Amino acid sequence: MFKIVGRFDQQKIVLVSVILVITLAMSILSAKFFNIDNLVNILLQIAPLIIVASAANLLMITGNFDLSVGSVFAFCAIMHAYMTKNVLPIGWSILFTCVLAILWGASNGIMVGILNVNPFIATLGSMYAARGFAYLIARWDGGANISAGLPPDFSDFGRTNVFGIVPIIIIFMIVAVAVFIFIEKKTVLGRYSYSIGCNKSASKLSGINVPRVLIIIYMIVGLLAGLCGVIQVSRVGSAYPNIGTGMEFDVLLAIFLGGTSMLGGEGSTFGMILGAFIVGLVANGLNLLNVPYFYQEVTKGALLIIAVLADQMLRRRKQPGGA
Amino acid sequence: MDNDAILSIRGIDKEYPGVHALDNIAFDIYKNTIHCIIGENGSGKSTFIKILTGVVAKTRGAIVFNNKPFDPKNVKDAKSHGIVALYQELNVVNDLTVEENLTLGREKHRFGMIQKDDSLDRIVSILKELDKTIRLNMAVGELSTAQKQIIEIVKAFSIDCKVLVMDEPTASLSEEETSKIFEVVKKLKANGMTVIYISHKLGEVFEIGDFVTVFRDGKVIATKTVQEINKECKGDMSDACLELVKMMLGRVVIESYIPSKTDYSEKILEVKNLNTDLLKNVNFDLFKGEILGFYGLVGAGKTEVARVLFGIDVYSGEIRVKGKIARFKRVGDALENGIAMIPEERRQDGVFGKLSIKNNIPMMKIKSILKNGIISRQKENKIADDYIKMLSIAARDREQKAAFLSGGNQQKVVISKCLNRESDVLLMDEPTRGIDVGAKLEIHNITRNLANQGKGVIVFSSELPEILHLCDRIVFMNSGRVSTIIKNGNNLNNDDIMKIIADGERKYE
Repeated sequence: MFKIVGRFDQQKIVLVSVILVITLAMSILSAKFFNIDNLVNILLQIAPLIIVASAANLLMITGNFDLSVGSVFAFCAIMHAYMTKNVLPIGWSILFTCVLAILWGASNGIMVGILNVNPFIATLGSMYAARGFAYLIARWDGGANISAGLPPDFSDFGRTNVFGIVPIIIIFMIVAVAVFIFIEKKTVLGRYSYSIGCNKSASKLSGINVPRVLIIIYMIVGLLAGLCGVIQVSRVGSAYPNIGTGMEFDVLLAIFLGGTSMLGGEGSTFGMILGAFIVGLVANGLNLLNVPYFYQEVTKGALLIIAVLADQMLRRRKQPGGA
Repeated sequence: MDNDAILSIRGIDKEYPGVHALDNIAFDIYKNTIHCIIGENGSGKSTFIKILTGVVAKTRGAIVFNNKPFDPKNVKDAKSHGIVALYQELNVVNDLTVEENLTLGREKHRFGMIQKDDSLDRIVSILKELDKTIRLNMAVGELSTAQKQIIEIVKAFSIDCKVLVMDEPTASLSEEETSKIFEVVKKLKANGMTVIYISHKLGEVFEIGDFVTVFRDGKVIATKTVQEINKECKGDMSDACLELVKMMLGRVVIESYIPSKTDYSEKILEVKNLNTDLLKNVNFDLFKGEILGFYGLVGAGKTEVARVLFGIDVYSGEIRVKGKIARFKRVGDALENGIAMIPEERRQDGVFGKLSIKNNIPMMKIKSILKNGIISRQKENKIADDYIKMLSIAARDREQKAAFLSGGNQQKVVISKCLNRESDVLLMDEPTRGIDVGAKLEIHNITRNLANQGKGVIVFSSELPEILHLCDRIVFMNSGRVSTIIKNGNNLNNDDIMKIIADGERKYE
C-alpha cells in the first residue's frame, strides 16, 4: 500500500515543503514579499503559465511536448490586436484568433501523430514559423508593434474583474485547472493519454486511435496558448511580437518540477501547479531581492536539473526488477 | 575433413535463477566442417552460443579450443581467439560505405585523420571472392540483407576468424538470397573455416551440413553426421527430416485433450486465399465454440496470420466474419468485427506497466466503465474485482501497478483486457510463453471455458504439447503456407504428428 500511495505523496510533500521554505525564506529576507499585493502579483504572473501548462502537462503524459506555445501565444496576441484595430469587432476577433490557435495545434498534432515527425523537430519548426508570422503581422500594421490606435474595448476584456475583484485571467486559470483535473481523472481522453504515454504499441493494439488523441491534445494546447495571448495582450494594452519568448521552457519547467516524466505515462495537474508555483515564487523572490535577471535564469536551470535528478533517484529505488 | 576437434564441449552447465538452461552438454565440433545446431525455442541453443562467444559465463564444465582450455571473459576475448558470432540483427552501419564498414573500429589514423593503408587490399580480395557484385563505395543501406551478411562475414574473416557462428542467417531471406548465403558458407569451408550453423529450417541441414547436433530442453539429444542420417534413411529425405523432428520434439504425450462443445454448423470466421509478403494462400475456417491451433516452427507464419486477422498487416484475400465479408485496415476494424488479440510480446504490446490493474483491464472497451460519458470509479472497480476473482490474478489489490506482477499474472491482466472486450473471436499468440506451469494450466482452463461459452479461439503456439493439449483442430504451417489441417483426438499418435511436421518441412524447402 505504501509503495503506490508513497511515490505520489512523497513527491508532492517535497514540492510543498520547497514552496514553504521559499515562502519562509523570502518573508524573512524581504519585507515586501508577504503582503497581499505581492501575492496577487505572483498569481497574475503565473496564471498564463498554469493555463498553458495544464494542457501541455496532459500532452507530456502522452510522452510528447510542444515548444511552440510561446510563439503561438505571441502570434495570437498580435493577430488579435491587428484584427481589432483594423478588421473585426473584438468578439469576432477573439473567436477568429482562437480558431487560428487551434489550427497551429492541429498542424503540430498532424505532424507528430500522423506524419511521425519527432515532436522536438515539429514543434521547433512551428515555434520559428509562428514567431515569424507575429513579426510579419506587426509589419502589416506598419510598425514593430501594435500599441497605438487600438479601440478602448480592446483593453477592457483583459482587465475585466469578475465580481468586481477577481481578474478574468484568474477565473480562466481556475476553470482550466478544474477542467484538466477532471479530464485527467474522469474522461476517456485523460485515460488514453496515460495509456499512450505508458505503452504506445499496446495502446494501438487495444484499438485506441493514437493519432486522433494526440491531435486533439495538441489542438487544446494551441487553443489555450492563443487564448492566454489574447487576454495578456489585452491586459497590457499593446501587442509586441516578442512577448512570450521562453514561455515554452517555463511550461516545461513547471511540468518537470511537478513530477511528470518526459517518457510519459505518469504525472498530474496538481503536481504541475505546485511546480508552477515554485517557478513563480523563485522569479518573484529574486526580483524583490534585486538579483540581476541572468542570475534568475541560472537559478531556473539549476532548479530543473536538481528536480529531474531527484526524481530519477526516487524512481530508481522504486523500479521493479527488469520492468 | 581433418579428424581433430577444433572445439570440444565438455559437460557445460548453465543455471539461471530458477532455470536450468543447459544440462551437462557435451559434443565435439571438428575442424573445417559445417556443424548445424537445431532445436526448438528455449532448447538451449542460444545459451550455448552465448557461452561460446563470451556473452555469458558458464556455471560448470569446460571448453577445449585447439587443444587448449578456453574460457572467454567477454565478446572481445572470444573474438581475439577467433570465435565470432553473426546474429540476426546485423551489426552494420547503413549510412556508411562498404569500405568504411569493413574497416570500422580498426581505422589507422594520424592526429585523428583517417589514413588509407594496404590492409584493405586483403579485405577487398576476400570480398571479391565471396560476392563480386558488391563495390567498395556503395552505401551499405542499399545492399540486400544477404549482402549485408556477407559484409559481416568479410569483417569476421579480416580479423582472422577460425570459428564462425551463424544464427539463423536465412530466417528473413528470399530463396535466391538463401542460395547465395549457402554458396558463401561453402566457400568459407573451402577456405578452412569452421562454421556453426543454427537453423530452424531442417532442409538446410541436409543441404549444407556435415554434422548436426540436436538440442532439447537444455540437453544435447544427439550429434550425428548428416551422412549417417542419410544412410539410416536410405536417402529418403522425408524420413531423414522425420528423424530430426523426432529428436527435436521428443515424445509428445497426448492425454489431457478434452474436446470442446463445438458447433460445426456455424462458422464464425472464414479465411480464403490470404496472402501477404510472408503468407501464401492461407485458407481455414473457425467454428463456434472451437479452439483452433496454429502450429509451426519459428518463421512458419503463425504470428503473421494473427497480425492480419487483427488488422495490423496489409493482406490480400477474403476474410468473412459470421458469413459477412470484412476488410481489416486498422486494429479498430478487427475489434469492431468482434476479434480481439492477446499479443505475443506481453510487455511490449500487451500490458501497461505503469498503470494499475484496474486501469489496464477496461482499455480495449473503455465504454464498459463509462457512466454518462464519464469514467465511473464504481464500475471500474467492479470490473477489476470481477476479473481478479474470475482469473484468480495474484495481486495485492486492484491498485497494484501491472509492472510489479509476475509474468503469469501480467498475462492474466492482458487476457482480462481482451475478455472485457466481449469479442466473439479471441486470438492468442503464444499465450503461455515464459509463464510458470501453474499459471499455464490456469490459462489453458480459461481458454477451454471461453470455447464452451461459444466463442471461437485461435491459439498460435510453437509448443506442440500446448497445441495438442488444448486444440480441437490443428493447422500446421510451414514457410507461410498451411501444410495440413487435422482434427485432434485419441486416434492421433505421436508418429503421425511427427510425420506431418517433417513432411511440411520437406514440401516447402
